[in-house]
Amino acid sequence: MEDHAIVRLEDASKYYRQGQMEVHAVDGLSFDIHKGDFTALCGPSGSGKTTVLNLIGGLDVPTSGKVFLEGRDIGLLSRSKISAIRRDRIGFVFQAYNLIPVMTAYENAAFVLSLQGVSDRECRDRVTAILKEVGLEGLENRRPDEMSGGQQQRVAIARAIVTRPAIVLADEPTANVDSANADSLLGLMERLNRESGVTFLFSTHDQRVMDRARRIIRLHDGRIESDEVFN
Amino acid sequence: MKISNMAWRNLWRRKRRTYITVLSIGFGVLLSVTFTGMAYDSYTKMIDTSAVMGLGHVTIEPRGYNDSPSLEKRLSDAAGIREQLLEINGVDSALERIMGQAMFASAGKSIGGAFIAVDPDMESVESNLFIRSIVEGGLFSGQNSQGALVGTRVAKKLNIDIGKKLIYTTTDANGEIISEIARVSGIFKTGVSEVDGSMIILPIDRVRSSLGYEAEDATLVSVVVRDQRRSDEMRDIIMSKLRNPAWEALTWRETQADLASIITLDKSGNIIIQVLIGLLIAAGILNTLLMSVMERTREFGVMMAVGMSPFTLFRLVIIESIWYAILGLCLGVLITIPWYAFMYLHGIDFTGMVGSDYSASGVLIDPVMKIRLYRESAAWILTALFTLTILSGIYPAWRAGRVPPVESLKEI
Repeated sequence: MEDHAIVRLEDASKYYRQGQMEVHAVDGLSFDIHKGDFTALCGPSGSGKTTVLNLIGGLDVPTSGKVFLEGRDIGLLSRSKISAIRRDRIGFVFQAYNLIPVMTAYENAAFVLSLQGVSDRECRDRVTAILKEVGLEGLENRRPDEMSGGQQQRVAIARAIVTRPAIVLADEPTANVDSANADSLLGLMERLNRESGVTFLFSTHDQRVMDRARRIIRLHDGRIESDEVFN
Repeated sequence: MKISNMAWRNLWRRKRRTYITVLSIGFGVLLSVTFTGMAYDSYTKMIDTSAVMGLGHVTIEPRGYNDSPSLEKRLSDAAGIREQLLEINGVDSALERIMGQAMFASAGKSIGGAFIAVDPDMESVESNLFIRSIVEGGLFSGQNSQGALVGTRVAKKLNIDIGKKLIYTTTDANGEIISEIARVSGIFKTGVSEVDGSMIILPIDRVRSSLGYEAEDATLVSVVVRDQRRSDEMRDIIMSKLRNPAWEALTWRETQADLASIITLDKSGNIIIQVLIGLLIAAGILNTLLMSVMERTREFGVMMAVGMSPFTLFRLVIIESIWYAILGLCLGVLITIPWYAFMYLHGIDFTGMVGSDYSASGVLIDPVMKIRLYRESAAWILTALFTLTILSGIYPAWRAGRVPPVESLKEI
């Protein structure tokens, strides 16, 4: 494996059985993601974008082939080890924000740190800083139902990056926000990538995301249609 | 955020459901306390009443007397035994008694019955139900008097009244038939027709001399202890103190096997009721937690996706059930205290329905229904309900951690 590859897929496939039919959600994919990448997985619905993110995030296991995260074959790890990897090395941003409704913005952002057992003091410092960075200063005590979609997605981004993960997997992060918020969120993620070196892998069919991505992997029927790198 | 805080907040997502669940646990405490308390009050009264009808909570008697009673069997140093027993902490009273079967006859009629010979100077209304139940006349005075205290139905059957003579015939210490004259000094009415129709109380020294007993002979020493629940323990203490192989100490369970059987049977019924109450509560909590878990499948998927382990998720749901238990038990204690205070102090009087002479298996039962809960029963109820609530949370908690995150995230 190359020195800076955070993620490597080696002929990874994921097949589902749907009634009598076998659906090839992902079919023999191979690619690497390197530290500092800002990559978009594009393709129409059903092309396998979310499945790829699930495989990389250890939320699903490949039917065949291998998925490596920082050199470790995820398919060989126990459930608890995968949980720990997700907690410590991966940040997730979901299309529907998926914040915990009983928690405030601060608590949502601090949630994974508390799972990691980070001290209260360090947690406070890091969360306060990250909420400021994502533009949510002053909204720390708001619960998700008291925030707009854009604000909620910012909290989700804060939650994903506060642990300083190896990679942030963002599944259609702009799909549920208006265009102004989408631009602002993308600007935020781009800045975090550029200034803090956070590695992002998006699944998207939003042109605005594709316009900002430095690498676009196009999927079709679970296979790579094209893989372009932009400078 | 601590898991316990998150669990607490989760409880209040659906306030109405939480209120209903907590109320059901609280009501369960009330029901359990009521059923257990009613049973224990009734058992205590029955045991204490039967104890003061002659045999006490613990009886010291010649070995083998309980299996085949006979006036030939007797304790030779009853007064000495009594003295020793009164030194034991927890013994309220120890009284020498001679008990036996006899024929009672008046001028025109005769009936079979039983007598208890007592020392009138030692007996009191606390230690003797018959004295407590005198409705006419009084207890004879003097151990050697000719007086007799008879049951109302005995008086009626023999057609005798205060001051009238009656003759009792029995066998003496040597198996010889003897007869003695007594004069009615008082009439008692316990309310138990079998007792009122067959029992006579006689002075102990006169009976001793009639039977050919020595001055300190008695059939038994009847011991009333401060707390009937300690009868077994007191029997063991007494046996270790007396150390005479010719004597034995028996608890009311052995000397009054019928009463013990009734109580055991009733306890079994009570346990079934308690189990049913428990199952009803458990079903309610299980339903609440299961619904709450199913509603949050996606949320749990997100939590696992961001790194929460299935075990931590399991803990979260279990802690939610612990919160339900704590709230339910607190509410239960709050609503039960005033109810318990009323039922303990006043109770509900069923005299109008069952009369004042209600009895079972020869033991008088108080028609005023009260409840009495011992500390260990209260602790048992609270512990059982707490445990049950947490056990009810195990399946939903297990289920919460079992759904693969990728499946959970597909849930809408």
